[in-house]
Amino acid sequence: MMKRSEILACLKANKNISAYELNILDKDSRELFYVLDHLEINRAVKVKTVSVKVYVSDQRSTGVSTLVVTAADDQKSLASKLSKAVTRAKAAKNPYYPLAEKKENLKDTGADKKDLNKVASRVAKAVFKADVYKNGWINSTEIFVSRFKEEFINSNGVDHVSNSFKIEVECIPTWSNKKEEFELYKFFESNKEDYKKITEEIDEILNLAKARSAAKTLKDVKLPEDLKVLVKNDMLENIVRCFASDLNYRSAFMHDNHYSKGDKVSETLFDLTMRPSIAGCGASRRFDSHGTLLSPVKLISKGVVKNTYGDIQFGYYNKEEKISGNLPVAQIKAEGVEYKKKPHLIIENFSSPQLESDSGYWGGEVRLARYFDGKKYIPLTGFSIAGNIYEDIRNVKFSKEEGQTSRYKGPKYMIFEGIKIS
Amino acid sequence: MLDKFVKSRIPDAKKLVEDLGKSFDYVSILGTCVNTKRISVSTRINSLDEVDNECGFVIKVYRDGRYSEYSCNDIRGLKAASIRNAVKLDEVYSKDFKVKMLEEQPHVEDFLREDPSKLSNKQIIDRLSAVKDELHKKESRLINVNTAYVKRQTSKIFVSKKKCLSQKYDWINVMLMTVVRDGDNIKSNYSAQGEADSGMALDKFAEEADDVLNIAVKMLDARPVVPGKYTIITDPSISGLIAHEAFGHGVEMDMFVKNRAKAVDYVGKYVASPLVDMYDGAASCLSAASYFFDDDGVEAHNTQIIKKGILQTGISDSLSAMELGSEPTGNGRRQDYQRKVYTRMTNTWFGPGKDKYEDMIKSVKHGYLLCQTNNGMEDPKNWQIQCTASYGLEIKDGEFTGEMIAPVVISGYVIDLLNSISMVSDEVTVHGSGMCGKGHKEWVYVSDGGPYLKAEAKLG
Repeated sequence: MMKRSEILACLKANKNISAYELNILDKDSRELFYVLDHLEINRAVKVKTVSVKVYVSDQRSTGVSTLVVTAADDQKSLASKLSKAVTRAKAAKNPYYPLAEKKENLKDTGADKKDLNKVASRVAKAVFKADVYKNGWINSTEIFVSRFKEEFINSNGVDHVSNSFKIEVECIPTWSNKKEEFELYKFFESNKEDYKKITEEIDEILNLAKARSAAKTLKDVKLPEDLKVLVKNDMLENIVRCFASDLNYRSAFMHDNHYSKGDKVSETLFDLTMRPSIAGCGASRRFDSHGTLLSPVKLISKGVVKNTYGDIQFGYYNKEEKISGNLPVAQIKAEGVEYKKKPHLIIENFSSPQLESDSGYWGGEVRLARYFDGKKYIPLTGFSIAGNIYEDIRNVKFSKEEGQTSRYKGPKYMIFEGIKIS
Repeated sequence: MLDKFVKSRIPDAKKLVEDLGKSFDYVSILGTCVNTKRISVSTRINSLDEVDNECGFVIKVYRDGRYSEYSCNDIRGLKAASIRNAVKLDEVYSKDFKVKMLEEQPHVEDFLREDPSKLSNKQIIDRLSAVKDELHKKESRLINVNTAYVKRQTSKIFVSKKKCLSQKYDWINVMLMTVVRDGDNIKSNYSAQGEADSGMALDKFAEEADDVLNIAVKMLDARPVVPGKYTIITDPSISGLIAHEAFGHGVEMDMFVKNRAKAVDYVGKYVASPLVDMYDGAASCLSAASYFFDDDGVEAHNTQIIKKGILQTGISDSLSAMELGSEPTGNGRRQDYQRKVYTRMTNTWFGPGKDKYEDMIKSVKHGYLLCQTNNGMEDPKNWQIQCTASYGLEIKDGEFTGEMIAPVVISGYVIDLLNSISMVSDEVTVHGSGMCGKGHKEWVYVSDGGPYLKAEAKLG
């Protein structure tokens, strides 16, 4: 693979290139694949991915084309690729936008020296520590432990380096009720080694598989009409991302946004802040793909839109004064409400949580829910819920318990009323 | 022509197989180079990139009852000792277990399928722009037209002690998305063409453009479905979605190995109406997943999964087939060279029947024609369905009423749905423009399709 200095030399040698951005990602990972508690395959990945954005700009327009540098390239082939990219950039003109300016270059020298094999083995032990039930077991597990080094360089002198680390676990728990076996799906990622949390996550999903094995259908229970519906994890993250996407500069530029600054999203006084990183959120990062160093932006304050965010291209188009960069993780702060004493329905696991940002439709087929009838929880399966998120958000409430996903931290549950259950 | 870089590494791969063969019982090397050109012409933003250029190698070795893999950018100059060290596990959690070793048959062959159209970037941009501009003239509520032409040129080599294979194949997708807005009411609709020929893909894209816009406009007045059980007619894309999500994932035989598929107990038994035939295979038709050999170096197959309603067999990668004592079906696929092989679907479709589409519509007392794949999710262990159609058109007493519902989620139990199929149209369409994940990751290009199907289903 060509060295960074060689790639930069090629970029500088082409006088038709008015500006450039170079992204380099080094990935070193160790992966373990289990069937039951038997290791079937282990994998090691050591790869470098290099992409270059070539700009051909004048004061009114920006032409840009992306290319990828591979191990097949040398200086001669890259020079040829860059010439072709210049031609492509001239054919795909957009309104002018500037590149990130050099202010402070991030030099994250704190690359950890973790032995990835040992970490992967510890993760495996933490997973199988939860595998203690007679009628339930972990059917298959995939563990990915990765270290990344990311570099961003542009022709304005921006030169960032950051290091990151990520653990990903996919786990399929199964539970037998002696007549039939039932399974659920769990995938989670984190940027910190919290083995206790891994064991807790696996134990929780095993017990949810147990609940599914005893689940009833809607025919077996009569749900009250004013039932509160609680969503968490993937669906909650989808909802937060829907609003974050709507408040991205890009949506306003594309004219397909539902909200603008000053609009009231909800009667509930919640805050939504986009952040570069949160401990435990696997999607955290320090700068975006245009090299903008990221800083937090409060999008919604007390239920009202206060700010938007996004990358330098669309921020420039929208005449934003301070460009935030594309922020990857979201945090909600809200006063939690008491819900546990009255009947409610917790959606534990969707088949595939759906949310259409254009229309606002959200819902899906529920693999497992827990219905609290005022006295006890009853597991339910085989039904669907549906709503319109832009209407349902108006009276949303939040739990006091805290939760976290790869891209979200905040209340564990969003609590809705009037959701269609069928 | 096979990519020059991967071709140049065949001698290196052979040498490395020989060197590693001194320490391991099985060695294979997959080299891959995918050049992707993407041209996007839109109302507000244009781009012309060569992205997703996946280029690298994965070395698979076997010793002491376990497989190991090493993914890297290049194999030239790579020493066997480096690979041994990278995959070495000093400390690992595992109960004693030995996987069997793959046995291969000798096979040396080169394969080629290239796009016959040689269109310049300008010609493609002009054709995309013409469609975009025409649509904007027709509808004032149209806020965005997004078009994209994507050509993937895939070159792969597979080298082991007994095999030396190469393949180069092209596939072209052309997409159109229209977004309409009436106040706060925003709706979008799309079409996606998949062809082995750029010219044909662009022709079909232009032919369908007006319909894509008209349906988006109609969606502005669509209402939600009243949940309940209905008679449905599925268009070929929804038939394909059912084939893929409701049943296809359940016959991926790595799921059999893990005892994760209910289908394993149903081989030789009725799983669908006797009107139903179902196929999968890279060689089953020419579409998005039509390669010549899979990522295990196994030649493409055409597997009949369901014959007259009876489950015949599943589909498998080499390792799963070996574990189960069956023959691999050429369904071993990786997302890219950095990822593991799994059993994956390719081109998955229901076979044709004898009914005429018009007769099927006339036969519906009250129900919906469900159109256009939105998304779906598998549940191979418990056979619950979630398939979403972008919209449905109401049928009453055999005629369309003009009412539209959107979106529409089909849910229920797979076998109930497949057994309820009562009419099957006589023409099959396979849509070569999809991607499929396993769980929530491992994305590969797939196609699916079928005839129109009449069935009973729960909609919500």
